[in-house]
Amino acid sequence: MTADSHISTEARPQRPVAARRWKWAIATAIIGATIWSVSGLDVSIERVMSAPGDAWAIVRLMWTPAFSTEIKRGVLGKVLESVYIAWIGTVIGAIISLPLSFLAASNVTPRVVRLPMRQLFNAIRSVPELIVAVILLGVTGLGPWAGALAIGLHSVGTLGKLSSEAIESIDAGPIEAVDAVGGRWVSAMRWAVLPQILPVVVSYWLFRFEINVRASAVLGMIGAGGIGAELVAQLNFRNFPEVGAVLLITIVTVVTIDLLSSALRRRIIQGGTGEDRSKSGELIDDLTGIALG
Amino acid sequence: MTSPASPATTWPKKPRPQLSILVGILAAVAFTVFSARQINMQLSTFIDLWTNPLWEKFWPIPWEWVLNRHNVIDPLIETFQIAIVSTLIGCSLALPVSFAMSRLTSPNKVVYYSSRTVMNIVRAVPDLFWAKLLVTAVGIGAFAGAWALSIFSLAVMVKLFSEDVDGADPRPLEAAKAAGGRHVPSVATGVLPTVFPAYVAYALYVFELNIRASLVLGLVGAGGLGRVIEAQRQFFRFGRILGILVIIFVVVFVLEQISVALRKRLV
Repeated sequence: MTADSHISTEARPQRPVAARRWKWAIATAIIGATIWSVSGLDVSIERVMSAPGDAWAIVRLMWTPAFSTEIKRGVLGKVLESVYIAWIGTVIGAIISLPLSFLAASNVTPRVVRLPMRQLFNAIRSVPELIVAVILLGVTGLGPWAGALAIGLHSVGTLGKLSSEAIESIDAGPIEAVDAVGGRWVSAMRWAVLPQILPVVVSYWLFRFEINVRASAVLGMIGAGGIGAELVAQLNFRNFPEVGAVLLITIVTVVTIDLLSSALRRRIIQGGTGEDRSKSGELIDDLTGIALG
Repeated sequence: MTSPASPATTWPKKPRPQLSILVGILAAVAFTVFSARQINMQLSTFIDLWTNPLWEKFWPIPWEWVLNRHNVIDPLIETFQIAIVSTLIGCSLALPVSFAMSRLTSPNKVVYYSSRTVMNIVRAVPDLFWAKLLVTAVGIGAFAGAWALSIFSLAVMVKLFSEDVDGADPRPLEAAKAAGGRHVPSVATGVLPTVFPAYVAYALYVFELNIRASLVLGLVGAGGLGRVIEAQRQFFRFGRILGILVIIFVVVFVLEQISVALRKRLV
């Protein structure tokens, strides 16, 4: 009996008032921002209602995809060109960012060098690839090489940031060991830091490659070579079955590369034994989380 | 003679490099050389780039043109509006879809596999492909851009968030189910509160991505600041483009700092 009465008299804890006030403030801000944004976007109810129908009509027009026409037009070569552009861009980014990332890590580099290097990475990252490409295409002329350069430059920013964070999270013991036996800074980086970060950094490179494949497909749309140009050309002429074929080929390529690369990343991070699975799984999730930018 | 040297000679044997790593490196190098030839890579471009006379066109920046409200600021505001609307639409849709896509909270196998497949396909199409397709479907302008970015945010958001739902503590959900709760209320009370901070943090991150993506949407006719860049590019007015870049740089930088600070507080 006593136990029963104890349960019945126990009141529910009160919700904290401060948190509720915050909730209302945030909700108001979000709703306000939405109304302001929608009002500026020139949308009307009928436009919103008719849009799904219009989009569906296009999807219907794309069926059935005209694969044979597209293959005759060399679409496979173009999609491969996008992959080559992405790969070269990733290689450029990897080669330039690896040494620079040491100069941006707080545990191995003094403030004077580190802060400007970090701001450099931030600056590079904040300019989208496409805009870099717009400028480079203006200077070097159209072509896949300019696209690869643009992707490479942008990758320096993202890879540099991620790699320097990887360096910051290493075990300091080996560096102390190199210092203790009188090794120079470069030796400490080569023998104490690099072996620790290499698996993580290589998996960052692979992840960046996955992102860059999409980026290089997009770069084609403004004339930097690859599959994007084909999509724009066919869309502009309203050849919808051909558009469908280009889209499907792009999707198959991107998904294949994603699967290969993520299998490889898993293998690199986990090693051959497959032990420590949950921790590595977390790391891969983290990679997916951070590296998307 | 030999005795003082003998401790130094007992080095541990250097491990031999693994065959798989050697093959991997060789394959990567070979593919790099092959790709470089395919896209006509020329290292001399790195030098030519700096000596190119076209750089003079980037200077001086015509500030009176750039700071004119009509030229840059209005399209920039439109860019923000696209980013805000699409973040909201994408992230709201992502909440139920992520729960459908997670092994822990999916109502049944059919929903689980079908949502995963659809989302993988959506994610495989680059953001500007969506924009170009939607411009064709619903007409040039910010409306197509907002729609394209909503799809893009949905795809990114479910990818990030569903993995957090996968990793959520299953016990509150089991407790709710054991007490006789139906599926949706059990998920809402048993899982949602534990993963909600991550959801908000990802939403802010997606907003950052959307700001950047919305800047370039205009290059394919989907509204925002990219439209201005495209127009100036066609007339080779690089000074103006550089001015726009400076503004983009400042704005993205400030917003990112705010968003990073907010995310740090949340997680």
